[in-house]
Parts: sequence; C-alpha cells; structure tokens
Amino acid sequence: MGERSDVWQGTLALMVLKTLEAMGPLHGYGIARRIEQTSGNQLLINYGTLYPALLKLEQEGYIASDWGVSDNKRKAKYYRLTRGGRRQLEREAKQWEQATAIVARFLAPEEQ
Amino acid sequence: MRQLRAWFQRLRALPISEQSERDLSAELESHLQMHIEDNLRAGMSADEARRQALLKLGGVEQVKEHYRERRGIPLLETLFQDLRYALRMLRRSPGFTAVAVLSLALGIGVNALVFSVINALLLRPLPVERPGQLVFLENKSFNSQSFPNYRDLRDRNTTFSGLVGYRIAPMELESTGGATRIWGLLATGNYFDVLGVHPVMGRFFHPADDLRPRESPYAVLSYNAWRGRFGGDPAIVGKTVRINRLPYTVLGVAPPDFHGTELWYWPELWVPMMMEPQIENYTGTGWLDNRSTWDTWVLGRLKPGVSGAKALANLNTIAAELAREHPENNEGLQFKLAKPGLAGDYIGGPARAFTLGVLGLAALVLLAACANLASLLTARAADRQREIAIRLSIGAKRSRVVRQVLTETLVLSLAGGAVGYGLAFLLSEALTRWRAPMDFPVQFDVNPDWRVFLFALAVSIAAASLFGAAPAWRASRTDANAVLKGGGASWGRSRLAFRDLLVVLQVALCFVLVAACLISLRGLQQTLKMRLGFEPEDVSVVGFDLGLAGYSDEKSRALQQRVLETVEQLPGVLSAAYSNSVPLSIDQSNTTVYPPDKAGPRCSDGISATYYQVAPGFFATMGTRLLAGRDFTWHDDDNSPRLAIVNAAFGRQVLHSENAVGKHFRNGLSGPLVEIIGVVEDGKYESLTEFQAPALFWPILQNHNSTTTLEVRSSLPAAQMVREMRQAVAELDPQLPLYGTGSLNQMLGFAFFPTQAAAIALSAFGVLAIMLAVTGIHGLVSYAVARRVREIGIRVAVGARPSQVLRLVLGRIMTLIAVGSAIGLVLALATGQVLASVVYGASSRDPKTLAAVVATIALLGLVSSWAPTRRALRIDPVRALRCE
Repeated sequence: MGERSDVWQGTLALMVLKTLEAMGPLHGYGIARRIEQTSGNQLLINYGTLYPALLKLEQEGYIASDWGVSDNKRKAKYYRLTRGGRRQLEREAKQWEQATAIVARFLAPEEQ
Repeated sequence: MRQLRAWFQRLRALPISEQSERDLSAELESHLQMHIEDNLRAGMSADEARRQALLKLGGVEQVKEHYRERRGIPLLETLFQDLRYALRMLRRSPGFTAVAVLSLALGIGVNALVFSVINALLLRPLPVERPGQLVFLENKSFNSQSFPNYRDLRDRNTTFSGLVGYRIAPMELESTGGATRIWGLLATGNYFDVLGVHPVMGRFFHPADDLRPRESPYAVLSYNAWRGRFGGDPAIVGKTVRINRLPYTVLGVAPPDFHGTELWYWPELWVPMMMEPQIENYTGTGWLDNRSTWDTWVLGRLKPGVSGAKALANLNTIAAELAREHPENNEGLQFKLAKPGLAGDYIGGPARAFTLGVLGLAALVLLAACANLASLLTARAADRQREIAIRLSIGAKRSRVVRQVLTETLVLSLAGGAVGYGLAFLLSEALTRWRAPMDFPVQFDVNPDWRVFLFALAVSIAAASLFGAAPAWRASRTDANAVLKGGGASWGRSRLAFRDLLVVLQVALCFVLVAACLISLRGLQQTLKMRLGFEPEDVSVVGFDLGLAGYSDEKSRALQQRVLETVEQLPGVLSAAYSNSVPLSIDQSNTTVYPPDKAGPRCSDGISATYYQVAPGFFATMGTRLLAGRDFTWHDDDNSPRLAIVNAAFGRQVLHSENAVGKHFRNGLSGPLVEIIGVVEDGKYESLTEFQAPALFWPILQNHNSTTTLEVRSSLPAAQMVREMRQAVAELDPQLPLYGTGSLNQMLGFAFFPTQAAAIALSAFGVLAIMLAVTGIHGLVSYAVARRVREIGIRVAVGARPSQVLRLVLGRIMTLIAVGSAIGLVLALATGQVLASVVYGASSRDPKTLAAVVATIALLGLVSSWAPTRRALRIDPVRALRCE
C-alpha cells in the first residue's frame, strides 16, 4: 500500500486527458502505453495506479466509459473525453504553462 | 463542483453490485491479456510474458483494492461491516446481550424519567408568548402580595409591559352533572393579554371587563372543563353557568395546552378578579382593598430589552414608596424575582433540590450499570483475545479492531437506550395521569419531548464511552504474538486488576443506594410515629362550603348547628364537632399576633400563628389534649368577650409563659385584646417538618366561617360513618356539594405524601442497585471460576479441602466486597445531608440502619456467589484436567 501524492495524481489525470484528446477513445492499457511512449519512456508508471485514476476522472465527469471491442477482437472498456473533460484539459494545460513559466524565471540566471 | 459530483457518484456506488465487481475483473483481465500479447510479440516466453505483465500492473488484488477504495466510501462500508459483525456477535450470546441491554435500559430509563420530570418542572417554557420575559414576584416574607400593593405596582412601574395578579379560588359550579366544588382562578383583566394566549372559541376577558367589583360576571373555561363538564358543547360561548349559585356568562374556551402559569395547578375556569367578593364570599373588610392580606400572586412581563436587575431596582423603589405610605403593612418591603411556574421559590426551591437530588441518585444507578457492563465486557474481551490476535496477525489495522469493539458497545448502548426511553415514556405517561391523594387538583404534564429524547441519546452515548473504553483499550493493546503462542490462559492473579476496581465501584455504589433506601424507609417509619397533636384513628370528616353555596352568615350558622345536632344523634358516635378546617389539610390560615404589653407594637414584633375556628367539642373529637384551662362552650358567642384557646408553643413564643391561661394577646397590629381560656398540646399544622409551631383556636360562634369541616369520632368503620354523615347533610340541603370526605387518616394522605413518595422512589433505586450488583458479582464470580477450572482441578487432585477451594474462589471477591462496602459507608455518611433534605426524619448516622445496610450487602455478595461457588466445589479434578 503506497502513499499517493495528490500532485502525482493530478499530473496523471492531465496526461490521461491529453492522451484521450490526441488519440480519441482508448482502453486503459492503451492509455498507459501511450503515456509511456509520449514521455519518451522516461516515465515508468505503475499501470495499476491508472485504474483508480480513470475511475476518479469518470466520477468527476471528465471522461466516460463504454464496453467495446479492441483490434484483436477482445472485449475492452473504452474511455473517451467528454465536453467537460475538454474544458478541464484546457484549464489545466494553461495552469501548467503558467506554473512552469514562473518557476523558469526563478531558475533562469540573474539578468542584471 | 466536480468534487461534489464525485462524492455523489461514490455514494451511489455504495450498495456494491456484483456487476461492478465483474466489470472490474473483466477490465483487468483484458488489460493483462493485451499486455501479454504485446510481450509475446516482443519475443518473451509465455510464462515470462505473463510474469512481466503482472509485475507492471502491480498485483491484481492490490489494484482491485485501490479501485474499491476509490469507488465507494470506505468509511461507511467498514462501518456497515462492523455493525453487521457486532449484531452477529451479540446474537451469538443471547444471555449476555439480554443482561447487558436490560441493565442499560434500567440505568438509562431511570435517568430519562427523572430528566422528564426536570424538563416538565424546570426546563420546558410555558405555552404562552415569549415566556422568557415572564417573571414571578416574591417578597422577603411571602411569595404573594396584597391586592392594593399589586395595583400600585401595576400603575407605578416603568419596567414591565404588564403585571397580572391571580388567586386560586375554589368555586361551586353547576353543570350538567349537578353542583360540584371545582378549582378555578381569579385573574386580573389583563391576564390573557399579558400572557399572549388566544382563545380556541369565543373570547377572553380584557382590562375593560375588570373595572369595578361585582360588575363582570364572566367566566373563561379551560379546555378540559369544556370537554369534561360541558360535554364539549359547541354553543357554549354566551351560555350562562351558575357559579356559587349566581349567573355568569361564558366568554370563551382556552386552548388545550394552556393551564395557567402554575405548572402544578390546572384551573378549570378563570373569572375576573373584580368578582372576588362573590367568589370568595368573605365577610369582613373587602379583600380587594385590604393591604394586610397577602395572597395575590403577581406575575409580570418585562419590557423588551429590560433586564431582571433593572426591573427589580424599579420595583424596590416603589417598595420604598409603599413602605412610606403604609408603614403599618409595608414596613421593610423588598421584592425578589423568581422563575414563573412553581409559586416562586415556595415550591420551586424544594422541587429543584428534590429533583436534582434524585437525578444524582439516578446517575449513580447508571454508573452502577456501566460498571456492571464494563466488567462483563472485559471478561468477554479476554475470551476474544484469540480472535483479535488472529485478525491483527493477518493484517487488520489496530484502529479497525478497536473501532469494531467500540461499534459493539455502541450497539448495546443504543439498544439499551431505546428500551430505557420506552420504559421512561410509559412511566411518565402513567405519572402524568396520576393524581395526588388529595382533594386539590395537583397534576403535572411530564410527558417526554425532544429534549428528553436528546438527553436519552446523549446518555446512551456517554454510557457507551464509559463502559466501552476498557475493552477497547484492552483490544488495542493485544500483543498478537504472545496471545497466539501462549493461548492466553491467565492464572487470574494480576490480570484481574481492572475488574477488581469495577467490583469495588459497583459494591460502593450499591451500598450508597441501599443505604439511601433503608435510611429513607426508616425516616418514613419515624414520620408515621410522630406526635401530630391529635388522634386521627376513628375520626371521619366531611367538608362543605356554605359561602360558595350562597348562604348568608345567619343561615350558615344555623345550618352548621343543625347538622351537628343531627349527627350527634347517630348511633355509634362518640363525639362530634365542626370547624373551618383541620390541621395538616390543604386549607390552612395564619394570622399575626402580638404580645399585649408593648405600647404601640411594631410590625416586627409580630408572630405568625396558624388559626382555626372551632366549635365546642372539637378538641375532644380530634383527640387533642387540653393541658390547662377549659374548652369553648355554646355560651361563648358574639355577646361574650373575645376568647381564644392556644397551644403550648404559642404560650411559650408569644407570651413566654408555660401556662398562658388568663393572659391576653393582640390579634393584628391594631386588634383588640383577646383572652386565653385554655391551652392544648403542641402539634403539626401546616407540614410534618415544622417544629413547635404556634397555633390559635377561635370559637366559631364568635368568629364565623362558612367553610365547614364536620368531624366525628365513632366506633363505626369510616366508610359507614361517612355515609351517615353525608345523609345527615343531604337531609338538610340536598344540593350542597360535599368534598374531602373520608377517614381523617385518608385526608392526611396529603401531608404524608411527599415523604411516602420519596421513600418509594428511593426504595426503587435501592432495588435497582441490588439487582445490578447481584448480576454483576454473579457474572464475575462465574467467570473467575470458569477460568480457573484447571487450577482448581489440580489443587483438588493434590488434596485441597473444600474449605481451601472456597477460600480460593471467594477470597478475592469477599475482600473486594469488603473494600467496596467501606468506601460506600464513607460516601453514605458524607452524603447524609443531601438525604435529609429529601426525606424528613432521615439520618445517615443511625447505627441500626447502617448495620442493616452492611448485612444486606454481605447477603448480596453471598447470594450472588452461591451458584458459581457450588460449581467450583463440585469440580471433578479428572474431568477438569482432561478438557481445556
């Protein structure tokens, strides 16, 4: 039983939303693989943490799920972005950009 | 917002469906399959592919657990689980559960009942508008004022938006059932307006209806009177009723929950104060203008924003003015304010003291029940150590285990509380319906409301924390390893330390409660034996009020004498007389008398004495001894000089003389001198707790009173005698309503009632305490024996004699009982004062009573240990060593 910080949960949620926006509806395994790929395999997430995160996003109404059939003719649960999710993605992306910009100013060499 | 949606979704998911679990398993399974396929494509072997997939997922069960935690509300789910488990555990041991719930029900129930009474008397507001603004006026000497003083206060004050005056008044009412004496209220015209009550039919009277004496023959009926005496007649408004044989118009009917402003007196009707001369029919100076009779109760509504202190200051300023204007009556006048509802502090004070004292005792009973339960539960917890150890070792959080134990205690406690509340509900209904054994309409509405419910709930939860703390703490400290290794068998030495304390506590509490019970019973016994100043055995009484029936003075004198003559002729009558009232009944009157030799006596030299107007033969009939001088004769009438007979205490206190015959005193500050012609023995007049009160007897021929009590001493049984007396009166006036009929002992029920009630209540507590202590000690000894079966078996096998086994089993318990008794004894002696205020004649220092208590406790200990001890003595060593 590990402790999960809310910050980590938050970024995971952002990555999930972005992935769904870019890729369209996708199942859990696919989302996990895609996140790893997009991070250039720098981020090695524990796939198990994804499912509670997906549930949370679903409870908050940012994503919706349906059972469907995968490429290999397997039954899988597909997740898609909702309109609310799209708006949330925009909001969070902007927040991240602002945050990184501010921190960057602190970390940049003194301009004097 | 989204958070709210999330929580709502989680709540919805609470009844966990199988479908949800199936979906979860399916989703994870499909995830793994896809991952395995990818791994196979990447070249791993089948086994490796699966292993890698599982590792990357992080363990299926763990993922599922995290998922479940997010899906529902784990706290609620575990709570339900704990609840179901607790119920299952309790169902498994029905005996224990029954005893526990019963003990708690008794403890919580009795507290709820007492609180119900306290609520009715002290907490519940009157059913009027803004009751917080109402205050009751008292002064230093009385809890009532004179009517002229009331009028001055009403007109001169600046801090009250209204002041009302009222007076309890018996009246003769003619209704469909005939003429009866009922109890009503004389109230000033602004009564209903100031209180802010609205009629349910018709209207009330207003100040304009109460201006001049005898001009406003109106009546307002109480709801109960309207339904009971007039059959709920829908056309009652405007009808005429005859009160004291005169016509009154019914103005309206009061709402069903309004019973006046005194909680203990429920009048049947209200009449404007200006009708007082007709209602009370006193001869002599008009009561409405008499400053020396202090019997108007005054209630006021403070102006908004005015504090009690400000109003009191204003009142005392007026008091000073009144003292200046009328020094002979109002000298030293000073007011106090009190909470309305209990006749100021006259009833309020003792009522508060008594009920709070009883609440204290009830709390002790609950404490005893909790101690009982705590010891039973710790015993059970010791049994379940293995189960707890196993749960801890497979990974349960300690906090979860403790929470489960606490849930069990809470379930027990709430169950006990519910049953207790139910009992209290039934008992308080019975109490509300009960009527005191007297002719006066005392009743209380002690039905429980939301406050009592909340109180019962709070007490249940508090009780749960009290007795649940110990087992919960025990559970949290379980060392799983030690328990699983050693099997948890204790040899009973040091492990019993906490349970020992509980036994001591229980015994001490039981001692105190049993002591209270026996002391009060003894006090009651003393009360019954005390000297009353008359012999009530063989005396029957019948009461009637000729003034209320419309008789003039002359006619009532004549009727009284004719009744006496008739009754004296009846067979079996040893002696007969009549008077205005008898001692220790509800109708008592006082006057202030002054010694004769002071020139111009002042208010403060006066001594208050109870007075009676009696016919010749009164003392012989009542069995009061004449110590000196003579009784009245039929010649002591209006033409004779003023005479009186006094009791010995009067002689001592007013005239400082042992034999007052021939001496004089003054009745009232400016009254004429009165000669004393006889001295009778001391007695009790107003209450059983008074001591050597002065009393004064007037000859009824000189001081006429149309309120009459007929007393007859006879050898016939009371029922028969009363029948004959009623017949004799009926022959002379068939319409005359009679009241207060019966043997004198029955009539005295009123005076003895408080002591009897207290004794019954305390006995009930004592019995409860004994029941709890017996079950507690029995449980503990049984448990101790059961735990030590092996040890006892071994000892017997190596040759222990029965007396040694006995000492082993009982030794500890007996020591504990002794220690508990000692503590209880100290507590009982210390709280003796409290008890004395509750029960007259109770003394906690009476050695015989204390010895009886000690004997009771010892007996209790023996009885409760009897069965388990016999079991211990019968232990077959072979069987004992074999099992276990």
